[in-house]
Amino acid sequence: MTPDLSPEAAGPDPAVLKGEMRAAAEFLSGTPPSDGTSRGAGSQRTSDLSIDEEFVLHSVGWEPIQLVCGVSLYSIPMGVWNWGQGEIGHASTAYARAFAAATDRIHRECTDVGGRGVVGVHVESEVHRHHVDVALVGTAVRSVGSKGLSADPVFVSDLSGRDFALLHASGWEPLGLAVGASFVYAPRRSAGVAIKQKSQNVELTNFTEAMYSARESAMERMQRAAMEMGGSGVVEVKVTEGPMGFARHAIGFTAYGTVVRLVAGRHQRLGPRMVLPLDDPVVQFEATAIRGR
Amino acid sequence: MADVPADLPEAAGRRFADGAFTSALTVPDFAACLQLGLEPVAYVQGFCVMQWRWYGMGANFGPFGQFTGPGNRGYSENWPCPHGFVSAEHRGFGQNYEQSWIEDAWRQGFDAAYGRMIEEATSLGAHGIVGVVDASEPLGDLGVLEFRVQGTAVRVEGGPAPAEGRPWTTYLAGQRLAKSIEAGFAPVSIAAAVSSVRVWAYCVTEYLTEGSSPGWGYQVAAAEIEQTARAHMAVRRIARDQVRAQLAGDSFHGASMVTRQRELGQGDAELQCILRGNRVRRFKEFDPLPPPQPTVRLR
Repeated sequence: MTPDLSPEAAGPDPAVLKGEMRAAAEFLSGTPPSDGTSRGAGSQRTSDLSIDEEFVLHSVGWEPIQLVCGVSLYSIPMGVWNWGQGEIGHASTAYARAFAAATDRIHRECTDVGGRGVVGVHVESEVHRHHVDVALVGTAVRSVGSKGLSADPVFVSDLSGRDFALLHASGWEPLGLAVGASFVYAPRRSAGVAIKQKSQNVELTNFTEAMYSARESAMERMQRAAMEMGGSGVVEVKVTEGPMGFARHAIGFTAYGTVVRLVAGRHQRLGPRMVLPLDDPVVQFEATAIRGR
Repeated sequence: MADVPADLPEAAGRRFADGAFTSALTVPDFAACLQLGLEPVAYVQGFCVMQWRWYGMGANFGPFGQFTGPGNRGYSENWPCPHGFVSAEHRGFGQNYEQSWIEDAWRQGFDAAYGRMIEEATSLGAHGIVGVVDASEPLGDLGVLEFRVQGTAVRVEGGPAPAEGRPWTTYLAGQRLAKSIEAGFAPVSIAAAVSSVRVWAYCVTEYLTEGSSPGWGYQVAAAEIEQTARAHMAVRRIARDQVRAQLAGDSFHGASMVTRQRELGQGDAELQCILRGNRVRRFKEFDPLPPPQPTVRLR
């Protein structure tokens, strides 16, 4: 196969790039544009997307508007982390409500600035002994050129600009963030069992079972939330699991992801092109090998 | 070389007068900048070590003991106790307020360091500064804060001098800067702001944060800690508003928002939000790209 040596394949022409840089410098120096157009009229947009993400969003007909955020803290009553059995309902509820309230606030900020959705949402959630903190920060986006409020529901998604564009090109759309969380006590072993197991290789089934229990509840809640939004699935699911630092007999499992729905008649095949990069890392020379070590 | 700033060490002036350029650019960024027609001039830096004087919010009460509002400017919200008088220890009043004196002090340190970097670049006849890196961190255990702003001063091949001789600045360098220019955005300056909000918890916030019940005697379900949640929203909003105030109609790209909470006990907290990014101005109409071609890398 003949390699593609066309100018397009070799990247932008340096002369054009230099010309554009010079045009930018002339513009900033105050020289009016030679074609008499008035540019620079600002829309005062703010965005935490990278320039690559902005490019790719534009390519599918979307543009960023404003940086938006939503935060909520919910309390966890005293004593709920003490030894017990089953799910720690107060903690699971606090997590779910904090997430819902934060989502509601970022949703409202997006609507206020005329956005159709929020992409690239950074999710920060922390579970403390007495409170759960959830903070969401992302960029509100809308279709290029659209103005004012839209009748379409606003979505909140943690997909990056690139992933959003890929999803869009495949005929799918994001609907919102679905979350599920569960905190479960690992039942206490009896003193006799603990002593007997002290010198054995043995599975601590109380912890394994607690982990499974927390996992099932959390995943089930996330899936239920996705179905309530009318989605057909959840992508980019992120999970955290493990004992709580301040209550090591309690297992926490949290899961969240972006709910998606097929809007085209069927999934659009992207047909990716295969590329063979020529920048593979070279094998490093190992000086110690010479000495036979 | 043009005039060397008076507060620059003499050795720095001699170094700048030497022929070789210096740059903090990586080799790929360096190559991309040359492709854009940007010639590196020097690695320019600005420092400022600040010790704050004792700051306070000012008087909150008038001559007759009446509450007249906080002595600071900006955001504040009051939270009266719903329980009535309980005891002297009871937190019967809470307040969220913007610590404008901290924001002003940070601004002073940052602007001084940034201004010194600009001064160096101006003295070298640079048109812009690319790949800016800034940091503010405690200097040892002296109780002082060091501000550092660094970047690579560049000249645009065949380009005119910047407006009022003041170089433009950007956190971007290399391919990202090239793409920004291609997209029609000219770098104007970096934009950064800090906001600070103090939470003086009232009784309900204290109880909820410490895990006890504000209802006394019965265990409530999970409840929102509204005072702290509103402080979190406020600290982010203030940072955004401060950055918007610097934009003068331009856009703000590649924002990074970092929020920290320092818990002080009994529900009290101090929140700080730093927002930084690139102030850009559109200099040509945007040519939308065709939808990108997905690729699979073979290894």
